[in-house]
Amino acid sequence: MRACARRWRIPPLSNIVQNENAALAIDGGDLALGGGLLALIRPALDLLEPGGVLAVNSVNQALRDDLPRWCQLQHHEYRERQRTEQGYDRHLIGRGALSLPSGQRESGVTLPQRDGHISTEDVLKSIPMPEHADPSSGFAPRGARVEPGGPRYPFTLLDRDHVAPPEIAKLYDQAVAAQWNAATDIAWNKIRKLPDVIERALGQVFTFLAENELSALYLPSKFISRIHPAYAETAMFLSTQMADEARHIDVFLKRARAGGGGLGVSSATTSQSLLSLLELEDFTEAAFLLSVLGEGTFLDLLTFIEDHAPDEVTADIVRRARNDEARHVRFGLVHVRHALAHDASLYGRLEAAVRKRAVSLSNVGGAPEPLQDGLTVLAAGSTDSKSIARGHDAFRELLHTMHASRVKRLEHAGFTTEQAQNLSDLHTPNFM
Amino acid sequence: MSDETILLGAVAYDAKVVTIWEGIRQHFQNEGAPMDFVLFSNYERQVELLLKGHIDVAWNTPLAHVRVRQQTDDRSLSLGMRDSDQDFRSRLVVRSDSGIAALKDLEGKTLAVGSRDSTQARILPLHFLRQEGVDLEQVRFLKFDTDVGKHGDTGTSEIDVLEALANGRADAGTVGDLIWVNEQSAGHVDTNLIRSLWTTPPFDHCMFDALPGLDVGKIERFKKALFGMRWDVPEHRRLLELEGLKVWMPPRESGYESLREALANPTPE
Repeated sequence: MRACARRWRIPPLSNIVQNENAALAIDGGDLALGGGLLALIRPALDLLEPGGVLAVNSVNQALRDDLPRWCQLQHHEYRERQRTEQGYDRHLIGRGALSLPSGQRESGVTLPQRDGHISTEDVLKSIPMPEHADPSSGFAPRGARVEPGGPRYPFTLLDRDHVAPPEIAKLYDQAVAAQWNAATDIAWNKIRKLPDVIERALGQVFTFLAENELSALYLPSKFISRIHPAYAETAMFLSTQMADEARHIDVFLKRARAGGGGLGVSSATTSQSLLSLLELEDFTEAAFLLSVLGEGTFLDLLTFIEDHAPDEVTADIVRRARNDEARHVRFGLVHVRHALAHDASLYGRLEAAVRKRAVSLSNVGGAPEPLQDGLTVLAAGSTDSKSIARGHDAFRELLHTMHASRVKRLEHAGFTTEQAQNLSDLHTPNFM
Repeated sequence: MSDETILLGAVAYDAKVVTIWEGIRQHFQNEGAPMDFVLFSNYERQVELLLKGHIDVAWNTPLAHVRVRQQTDDRSLSLGMRDSDQDFRSRLVVRSDSGIAALKDLEGKTLAVGSRDSTQARILPLHFLRQEGVDLEQVRFLKFDTDVGKHGDTGTSEIDVLEALANGRADAGTVGDLIWVNEQSAGHVDTNLIRSLWTTPPFDHCMFDALPGLDVGKIERFKKALFGMRWDVPEHRRLLELEGLKVWMPPRESGYESLREALANPTPE
């Protein structure tokens, strides 16, 4: 049987055989239906439109009964069996219309390589995001054809311009390239014993940083499961953001304990402020409040700590964290700017969200006291009164810097100077 | 429960039967065809209570369907069937090393057969083999009488038949072609070891049966809701997959003659 099959072999599937009976022909040799033949038949039928005819050439006689029944069950049309001059069977199958996948077959997509690399930015260029997405396509990757009849998924972020700014793939590429290792990239062996008061101040500052970074880890996680996979690059970017935050929490807590300072106090006002962030339910509002206002403000805080770092390890940690945070801020900015450009009502909504949060935090008078003290001592470098006075001035200067930077960032996001001033004034004194 | 409600009987051959009919009941409800269901442990009781008028519709195997037809002098109403129920056939499958090349070669060999009340794995293949001239007295039978009362619904005895061939306990076996094709599609059959030697003529399988006096409104509502199920609607597709079909088909009576003949002339085993 096998020898016969080889003698009769016709061109393989990739070579479409034109003949008067069928658009496509495959050589099944002596394969049984359950012996692998379906792995040839099913992909071949998939190449045809409904009604298109596939010829299956075979010397396996069991197919004479198996193929018609299989076709009936699959709602393909078994047309006829012909006997060829060479003595094998030619089964003609009309492709059925039941369960036809939607969408165009992806063809001609060959991703470009640059220095042997394939970037996500190029993937996005090749397979652009749809303006709107259908929740019943489930987890099908963008570009896949989707068989009908799948369940509707609970995705709620279904509009490109509210989910995925055009820069998202580039930001993802940058994020992946910029990952670092908290265990091995930090020169932990360079830590030297500092005065207790400095270690305790560091412990307090890093407690506050870690607490805020925990909120920045949790908040994006709420939205990933709501993002339609057609905009997966946004979910993928947020996952790098979460990995960044996890790493920051890790290094901050390690540094707090590496010199014996230990953790400080988590204040009730910080807790209240972060809860109002975690409770956000709108993705764009969350990106605005967390990334543009919160993490934006954090950039100045991290610069302050670097400038006054008591050792190189501390400076290195906050410098690395700031680089990551700057990427999150860029995402927040391009996201908000893109959404604002496509939705005129968004200005009002974002302003209202900031105001609402400000009202809920109106009892919070200023930066958390333990943090104020920690930053002041850190900037002072010692506890003599002159140094403390200098540290206190530096802290007050930080508040001014934060406000000025926020205003610039808000203007960059698309707000007027007046709106930016107002929004910055309303921002939480907790920084994040 | 109002008189409008269609009371349907089905046999609980598997836990999934509850899921199927809960889902179909919801679909019927959505379509304005209130329906409830009663589960039986065997088809004999279901047929009995249909004939007594305790249920409106019975989801019947071919064996149960033919009994309903006979008991009602062919006046019972057939309401619908699955696409997979039409043009059913049974297969004689053999081990490649059994030396069976023709039907007569079965004599003196071991033939694995499914449950005694399975239309596709026992009753009809033996009926047709006898018609082909096989002397069944000369065949050694390996009988898998599992799930009797379920009329072969579970498919357990057919899987047992295929296993008996695979492990060499039998030289040949009889199974329905639904199992045969589906088991092949799923990659469960070693087709180098087991092959199909012969196929019976076609016959039809399950049917929704009702008594002739069933309320016309119930019949219309039943059909409208049933034939309104669509493969590309997610809620429907799940149920259709569980019930083993893609499209509900209008009823036809032409496919049950061979079973009537077989029941009138039982084969010796």
